[in-house]
Formats: sequence, structure tokens, C-alpha cells
Amino acid sequence: MTDMPELKLVFTGPMGAGKTTAIAAISDMAPVLTDVANSDRAAFDKDSTTVALDYGQLSLDDGTVVRLYGTPGQERFGFMRTILCRGAIGIILLLDGSRDDAISSLDDFLGGIRKLDPMPATVIGVGRCGSSDAPVLVRAKHHLQQLGLTLPMFRVDVRRREDVLLLVETLVCLLEAGAGPETMQ
Amino acid sequence: MNNAARIPQKLASTATEQLAKFGRDTPGIGLAVLSTTDGFEVATYKAERAVSAKMAAMGSSLQALSEAITREAGLKAARKLIIESDNGAVLALGINECKPAMSLVVVADKSASLGHLLWSAKLCCASVVRAVNGS
Repeated sequence: MTDMPELKLVFTGPMGAGKTTAIAAISDMAPVLTDVANSDRAAFDKDSTTVALDYGQLSLDDGTVVRLYGTPGQERFGFMRTILCRGAIGIILLLDGSRDDAISSLDDFLGGIRKLDPMPATVIGVGRCGSSDAPVLVRAKHHLQQLGLTLPMFRVDVRRREDVLLLVETLVCLLEAGAGPETMQ
Repeated sequence: MNNAARIPQKLASTATEQLAKFGRDTPGIGLAVLSTTDGFEVATYKAERAVSAKMAAMGSSLQALSEAITREAGLKAARKLIIESDNGAVLALGINECKPAMSLVVVADKSASLGHLLWSAKLCCASVVRAVNGS
């Protein structure tokens, strides 16, 4: 226990979006991982996958401790997302911009986030999308407009600490500004 | 994705036979699901498809959490997780001695003796390892 303020943030998004990498990039401690061998290479060609959670911790300059939780990406682990999002005041939604189903994933995950009551402040990070005017970013912005949402969205490389910190700091700024779901919608 | 694509049919059939024997020989078992460590069913006993899919995913999460917590606590590899409820028990066991590594989730009602259940589940895991490594 500590007297310093603490925030619970959740990194979510589809398999392979970089949630585990993002948490490892900014955590002050070695993250707790629940990676196992990935047997579903058809869904995503990578060696390992998270099946329960990732956990890391980050201390901000003002002493605020940010507890970082990562969810599994696959739909069959949706129950873990429900558990992990309990009490979260902010969500970072990561997407793989190189995938054809990036917008569909955006839609799916936002659908889940919007069902949370209250809807936590949310920031979107899109990786592997090339330039800042990449078509996937344009389509994602358009999709958010169609949904009536104005959420901060950044092109990120989740391996870069400063990119991931930008997402976290934006979320903290939203929270400090009292930008709840009402002002984001 | 079809499980047949990732688990050889012969292995799945053998594992199904082992689970059936486990179920027959152990009073109180409601269902059992053997899965890959990333949550896909390999074999089931008394579990319908929708239930077995959920149990496989939850079982792999439980097993991974068990391993994470024992690792963080500086203990050796997690062997099994026991959840006792008013009406029965759930076991999650890691089977890391075979390739691919697997998890076994067992749901038992309160007529089951926990000691017998654990012993029997351990035998079942050993038979799965023999079947996998011998195939």
C-alpha cells in the first residue's frame, strides 16, 4: 500500500497488436507475463501468446503509480478482459495497422469498451501502419466519427518507450481534465 | 481453426480414451477438458462443445496464472490448482512433460473425494504424457 495516487490502466486489443511489448517497454519492473506457446499460427504467426494477463508498474514524475494490465487478444479469452477491466479508469486500445481486419478489430474492441459502465477514458495506438497519413489511420478516424466518438489516436511503435509513454500520458491528461466518456463521445 | 489442424487425430483419439477411463474410474467427475496451453480443446469428457471451449480457455488462463504466481514467489513450476466450492471442486493441472504442453481441467461435484480426484487426475496426466511422447 502507498499514499501516492494509483491508477489502473488496461492495454487491450487483438492478438499481435503489441500489448505485452508495450507494457514491457514502460514498466519499471520486469512484467509479470502469462505467455504460452501459440498453436494458432493461422490467426497470427508468432511464437507465444498471452492467455491470462500481463502486469507491469510505472511511476510517473509526480509520484503517481500506474498499474498496467494487459489482456489476451483472442475472443476466447474475453472473460479475462471483463475481469481485468473492472476498476480500470483508462484503456489503451492497440491495433495492428498492417492487418486487413484492423478496422473490424477497432469496432469489436470499442464495442466491448463502450459496454463498460462507466466507459473508461480510452486512447488508441495503431502500430505497423507506416506514415501518419496511412490509409488505415484515415479509415479508423472515419470509423470513430461514424460511431460519434472523439478519441485520441496515435501512430505508435510499441517497442519505443516514448511512444507508449505518449499513450499513457495522454490518458492521464484526459483523466486530469475530467474527460469522461460524456466529453469523448 | 479446426483442432485437427494442430493436434494429430491419433493423439486426440488416444487422449479422449484416457479421459474416458479417468471419468469412469473416478466418482464425481462432471466434466474434463484437455487443452493446449493456449486454450484449444484436444479431448473432452462429458463436455459439450460450447462448454469445453470455455473450459479450455479458462483452464489455460488458470494454469498460466498459477505458473506466473509460483514464478513470482520464487517457487518451482506450478503443478496443479485446486478450487474448492460449496458444491464441488475444479482442478487445473499443467502437463508440461509432453510436447505440445497441455492443461487438464476437471470439474467434480461434492460426491468426489478430493484425494482420489487428485491421484486419479495425476494418473490421467501421466497416461497422456506416455501417449503423446510415444506417438
